[in-house]
Amino acid sequence: MKKTNRILTILIFIFLYIPMAVLIVASFNTGKDIANFEGFTLHRYVELFQDAHLLQLLRNSLVVSIISTVVATTFGTVAAVGIHNLKPRMRKVVMSLTNIPMTNPDIVTGVSLSLLFVFVGTRMLGQRDALTFWTLLIAHITFNLPYVILNVMPKLQQMDNSLTDAAMDLGCTPLQAFFKVTLHEIMPGIVSGAIMAFTMSLDDFVISYFVSGLDFVTLPVEIYSYTKKPIQPKVYAMFTLLFLLIFVLMVAMNLLQIRADRNKTVRRSKVETKAMRTFRRVAAGALACVLLVISGYLIFFAKPQEQITLNVYNWGQYIADGSDDSMEVIREFETRYPHIKVNYSTYDSNEIMYSKLSNGGITVDVIIPSDYMIARLISEDMLLPLDFDNIPNYQYIDESFRNTSYDPENRYSVPYTWGTVGILYNTKYVDEADVTGWEVLWNEKYAGKILMFGNSRDAFGIAQYLLGYDVNTTDKAELQACADKLLAQKPVLQQYVMDEIFATMQNEEAWIAPYYAGDCLTMMGENENLAFYLPESQGFNLFIDAMCIPTCAKEKEAAELFINFLCDPEIAGANMDWICYSTPLSAAKDYMDPETVFDPVSYPSDEILAHGSSYAYLPEDISRYVEGLFMEVRNG
Amino acid sequence: MSKELIRLQNLVMEFDGERILDDINLYFNDHEFLTLLGPSGCGKSTTLRIIGGFLTPTSGKVLFDGKVINDVPPYKRQVNTVFQRYALFPHLDVYDNIAFGLKVAKLPKDEIDRRVTEMLEIVSLKGYENRRIDNLSGGQQQRVAIARALVNQPKVLLLDEPLAALDLRLRKDMQNELKRIQQATGITFIYVTHDQEEALSMSDTVVVMDKGRIQQIGRPEDIYNEPKNAFVADFIGESNILDGVMLADYKVRFFGRTFVCVDKGFAPNEPVDVVIRPEDIDIVPQSEGHLVGTVTSVTFKGLNYDIIVDFRGFKWLIQTTDFHAVGSTIGIRLNPEDIHIMHKSEYSGMFGDYSSYSAEYDELTEDAGDEEE
Repeated sequence: MKKTNRILTILIFIFLYIPMAVLIVASFNTGKDIANFEGFTLHRYVELFQDAHLLQLLRNSLVVSIISTVVATTFGTVAAVGIHNLKPRMRKVVMSLTNIPMTNPDIVTGVSLSLLFVFVGTRMLGQRDALTFWTLLIAHITFNLPYVILNVMPKLQQMDNSLTDAAMDLGCTPLQAFFKVTLHEIMPGIVSGAIMAFTMSLDDFVISYFVSGLDFVTLPVEIYSYTKKPIQPKVYAMFTLLFLLIFVLMVAMNLLQIRADRNKTVRRSKVETKAMRTFRRVAAGALACVLLVISGYLIFFAKPQEQITLNVYNWGQYIADGSDDSMEVIREFETRYPHIKVNYSTYDSNEIMYSKLSNGGITVDVIIPSDYMIARLISEDMLLPLDFDNIPNYQYIDESFRNTSYDPENRYSVPYTWGTVGILYNTKYVDEADVTGWEVLWNEKYAGKILMFGNSRDAFGIAQYLLGYDVNTTDKAELQACADKLLAQKPVLQQYVMDEIFATMQNEEAWIAPYYAGDCLTMMGENENLAFYLPESQGFNLFIDAMCIPTCAKEKEAAELFINFLCDPEIAGANMDWICYSTPLSAAKDYMDPETVFDPVSYPSDEILAHGSSYAYLPEDISRYVEGLFMEVRNG
Repeated sequence: MSKELIRLQNLVMEFDGERILDDINLYFNDHEFLTLLGPSGCGKSTTLRIIGGFLTPTSGKVLFDGKVINDVPPYKRQVNTVFQRYALFPHLDVYDNIAFGLKVAKLPKDEIDRRVTEMLEIVSLKGYENRRIDNLSGGQQQRVAIARALVNQPKVLLLDEPLAALDLRLRKDMQNELKRIQQATGITFIYVTHDQEEALSMSDTVVVMDKGRIQQIGRPEDIYNEPKNAFVADFIGESNILDGVMLADYKVRFFGRTFVCVDKGFAPNEPVDVVIRPEDIDIVPQSEGHLVGTVTSVTFKGLNYDIIVDFRGFKWLIQTTDFHAVGSTIGIRLNPEDIHIMHKSEYSGMFGDYSSYSAEYDELTEDAGDEEE
């Protein structure tokens, strides 16, 4: 029995710590593949400390965590003392009230705080961007408070009340008694409360997501939107460091606890010399000072400087960031235009970007949505017409990307990238004779090795091309037929994927999948057995992501300057080399890797492109209908 | 006795509608050692906390040197307290605990040093300056607590069951120690305890309390010899309490016999409580006895035997140095000065019958007394 218990305990520990171990190992791996440890390197850590953007995010996270911890610990301790002094019945009521926010789902807390901030900020204070660093900070303080109270309360209850009486008896005012006696007694509770608040604050995503503006984003919020490309190994390095930080804090907390317990039971060395005690106090004081200086420094530098701040809201990993010897596009822009500071934040789908914008309370100057979303934004008056006098580089945009269906008069958008959706397959396992069109995704020969789009629009698109329907059909009977077709595919499917495709295809766990050409190129770079096929005869999706200025923009001229900068052929070339999507500027190809430029995957001939079609914005009821059908297919 | 220092006037204290103190009137003289004595829940600690300033009375006045101090907070009163469980500060060593009040008062460093050293000597703790509190024994902690209070040279020292947590031997030593310190310093001590022996041996004045009311105030001898009612008679020492009738001055009738006594001033034929202390009863041969009874139980107590004797169905406790076997018949004599007469009170009939006596019973009640508030 004892043995089983021990084995169980060990198993539980393995289960708990293996994910962290994998991450830590991955952060030292020379290769990019988690499943394959190629060699030991510290390069990821070097990369991490060279990445100004990631460090900025880390700094943001630390700023919010440290300040909110300090404030919440102070107020929480005061509140706990107040609650403790209530009559027992009231105390119980108040304690359960303070505990509720902790058990409340984060999403509920996040949404309600966001609503409150937007309401107070826009309606009552008349500010356009209500969601800022300050709202984020207030939210973090709010959800940290209960943790501090919860940790301090038991210490107050354990404390002999006559200690405070004794202090007052000896001449202390209640305030002096608190600082000279009570504070010492409850210090372990305060410290553990502070550590817990700090860790909670550092890893919070859900609440931060809803209450942060675009000018100040924390690390978890940004990482979550990294979907355009797989997570880079330097992020593993950062996570490893964060994990170690939390780990050290936790160990410190437990050591403190153990020492406090031992003091109570076992008699320690009888005499603590004055010198030792002085040393301990000086050390504690010094530590507190260092923390104060650090947070002061962080606060000072976290404040935006006196210059124009341009808020760019883009897909995650959708601009060259300096990694893999690429150009750091945003840094380059800031160097050329020193009076402008770019605040870059990211989203992971058109729909999320849309909801952030329509919720209000934020300032965004540049967004890069996809074609059908642009049509929707135009129809809802959410975009500003561009002043093309400020965007002279528009002249480089190829003719075929002007007068598009989503922006027929070229008033609101400047194309950023474009691409196709095709079939990625592994030549080692898949007979090329079978790859003749979309039907290969239904081929029973490869059952269990086929992946499918995890979003409704792309999944239905494939069914529509295969069945010969218009991709923008609003006919419910046709849509139902598409759903049936997709249901028939389920027996041969391995899973529905978005980002997971990178790992599964590169590891050869799956052999066939539809995906965006740019990403397929990335994967083909990692695994040479992979090949790309565009079913030109059946038709395929041709998408364009274009730069726009939303109506909530504040710095329209700077935004146009930024758009113009990205249309500079040299910049666009360097940028596209990293993103791997296709550029609408033929002039940029002169500055790009020639191999990509002549690659038929990235740049199919005009003849082939003529078979492509783009998604239009579907009426609300139809897109909901499609969404419903797709849910049924996935769950059915 | 010298001048009056503290006076409590019509003091009433209520918690959640429950009356803890009911019209307390009491004064304390300078240099006095006064003890509040009573069972748990009698209100003695509450009285002490009101004097210390930790509680504000529901009504009534607390006067210090003739001035009302109801609303003066503890830190402004010339009073210091020794708490029941000492309430020493665990994060400070012995020296800093004792120096606490002086440092708060911002006295010069050399004066603090002088007074703390002096105090350490008074409580015999020299050389313990840098000890941590949790490395001290109970008795040592007790002495630190006393030193911490006395070093501030208060006019009055309040002691809330300070010896309750110590074992018997240490308790006896500390009782002497406390008395010595009180006499040496001349500070007024207000002492709270449920231990009647402690109260009687240390105090100048004893105040017996029960149910939020003062039952009797007096010198220890008077309290013992002239209890005012059945409660006091029973709480202070052991008593056999019988129903009797005061026929006239110096004449009381009980058990069908008329006895001569030393009490007077009762109404003719007034029903009274008759108190006879177990140690005052003389055992004599049957033929010479006023009363004759049968021994039903004998307990050896060291100094004496506690024997229970059945007199016509009413059982008495008698303390004697001679052994009497269970079942033997003995006679007793009562001298006039051994008989104490009390007016009937609400406590009449509740105490003084040893029909259900057992030796353990005493110890149980004593332990229960420790749980005061």
